[in-house]
Amino acid sequence: MAFSKRKVKKDKRLTENQKKGLDLLDEKLSGKLMTHLNSCVHCGLCGESCLYYLHYGDEKYLPGYKVDLISRIYRRYHTVTGKVIPGLVGAKDFDDDAIQEMIDVIYGGCTMCGRCSMHCSVGIDIAFLVRTARSMLAEMDLVPKGLQSTVDTAVKTGNNMGIPKEDYIDTLQWLEEDLQIEVDDPNASIPLDKKGSKIFYTLNPREPKFFPMSISAAAMIFYAAKESWTLSSHYYDVTNYAYYSGDDTIGALITDRLREEVEKIRAETLVLAECGHGPRAIRWEGPRWTQKKYPFKTITLVELIADYIRTDRIKLDPRKNKETVTLHDPCNLVRSGGVIEEQRYILKHAVTNFIEMYPNRENNFCCGGGGGQLSMGEYAERRMDVAQLKADQIRETGADIVVTPCHNCIDQLMEVNKDYELGVKVKTMAEIVADALVIE
Amino acid sequence: MQLPQTVFLICFSISAVILLFMFIKAITRNPIDPSEAKGSKTKGIVYSITAGMSPLKKETANKHWPTYIAGISYHSGIFLGFFWIFIHLSNIPLVSLIYSFSRVIFIISVMCGMGILLKRIINKKLRYLSNPDDYISNALVTGFLTVSLLNLYTIDLKPLLFYYSAFLFLYIPIGKLKHAAYFILARIYLGLFYGKRGVWPLAKEK
Repeated sequence: MAFSKRKVKKDKRLTENQKKGLDLLDEKLSGKLMTHLNSCVHCGLCGESCLYYLHYGDEKYLPGYKVDLISRIYRRYHTVTGKVIPGLVGAKDFDDDAIQEMIDVIYGGCTMCGRCSMHCSVGIDIAFLVRTARSMLAEMDLVPKGLQSTVDTAVKTGNNMGIPKEDYIDTLQWLEEDLQIEVDDPNASIPLDKKGSKIFYTLNPREPKFFPMSISAAAMIFYAAKESWTLSSHYYDVTNYAYYSGDDTIGALITDRLREEVEKIRAETLVLAECGHGPRAIRWEGPRWTQKKYPFKTITLVELIADYIRTDRIKLDPRKNKETVTLHDPCNLVRSGGVIEEQRYILKHAVTNFIEMYPNRENNFCCGGGGGQLSMGEYAERRMDVAQLKADQIRETGADIVVTPCHNCIDQLMEVNKDYELGVKVKTMAEIVADALVIE
Repeated sequence: MQLPQTVFLICFSISAVILLFMFIKAITRNPIDPSEAKGSKTKGIVYSITAGMSPLKKETANKHWPTYIAGISYHSGIFLGFFWIFIHLSNIPLVSLIYSFSRVIFIISVMCGMGILLKRIINKKLRYLSNPDDYISNALVTGFLTVSLLNLYTIDLKPLLFYYSAFLFLYIPIGKLKHAAYFILARIYLGLFYGKRGVWPLAKEK
């Protein structure tokens, strides 16, 4: 590895910025990365697993080609053949053309949904390679503007929407008043900074900003379950867009902030709000980025609600949700997070008519909004184009309501609903459960 | 030992050492993952190298049956070819039924190899993905299968088979054929990933 690094440093054709990207690849070159970089046989059978390729039919969106965008660079600087006879093995210089193509496809033509990884004929973790390519680009400050701005806002303000603390607290206060009226209990509360609470609950900043009713729904569920829980006034953001930008250092910083806050509250369990990439980043990637194990348990709200139902801590009356409901599986929560059956268990108890869309579970298709696409205005047209697949899936179910436990997916599905004139309602899991709650 | 066999064994050894070196590098330098497991890593790995490879589970197989079957047949021929090299080296006598069976397998795999190569040449999507090594590797292996097949009809081709195989083994670490060393590791890493997160084994198999 060091040999390659010295060669890169001496290579006068490379700019300092290009060397930074190559150095990062060198640093990240673990056994796992090396394995996946060396395994593609260019069989081209992966196309049908990618929503971009399915929609456009353009070869540049083939998952195998995405693998090649990074593996050809690896071959050029890390293999003997690639250094001596690059043309033979398709090794390419890390020049401006290669970088521009990487930005366009790696950021703008992939949601990192990981569907291709699961179906790869060899078993290559393609999403992992795409994330590594993003890390190289992030190291070179080449993250698309909108996505970088979301990351910067989270770092600067503590939440990705830059919500001022006073606005956030105001919102929670009126939501608390609403909750008291709703459950007819003046003692019902949305606790803030309550030390020693069993549960530390997080929020997607879109909730206080645009969807406060999903906070109400979660609060009502906690109330019904007689849960000891709290929100933090200081740090509550469940998202970590550094996962999407590719910046592990910032990813670790955001992870540490949340960890410190949970420790300050002395909570037993960190409950991750309805989000796809957030739970993935916090639960699975954060400990790896920080190289620290959490001293508390980490679960998602979906798993917690399923547990409440299973242990009779909440009672639901499915007759309160008579419309036909379908479920959209968020990729990061399901395929890369293992929360697969819990949401189905919940819906079977919360609605009378639940219908699956196909394919589903680990084979689901991304809604098109993953991978940070919702933050990248540059690729908005593509995002809505590829969502046609999801629109068709929803339409085929004939459902009235689409439920998804992810605010990112909610945003995208609301746009899809409008653009493709689906005429459905889009709800979070907590909202549909709150609608069915029997408060005793 | 005769010259062709000696040359083969030298080239095979060089190839094996390089592939072993690659393999060792590919199982080291992995950072610790301190996240708390939701599922079982072991079960994930076992699933990945068994049911997870089932064509029924992968669209790359079940949406491409002809290519999948051709690929399986092609690889069966390759493993059979390696088996025959071992037989020729060790001079173990085999019953004629094995010869007949091997001829059939080799004929099928040569045809599949040619078909796969032809597909790579005429299919726009595959041409876009391919580099010279993809064509060379495919042609080299199909040539190996052809020589292996012809060798079962005449004893005179044994030296050619050994020289050809020697060259093939030297080429393996150079291009994409080195996936021979990485394939199982890729499955293991994928199994680790999905196993730890509780995705694999899939619910129905749990």
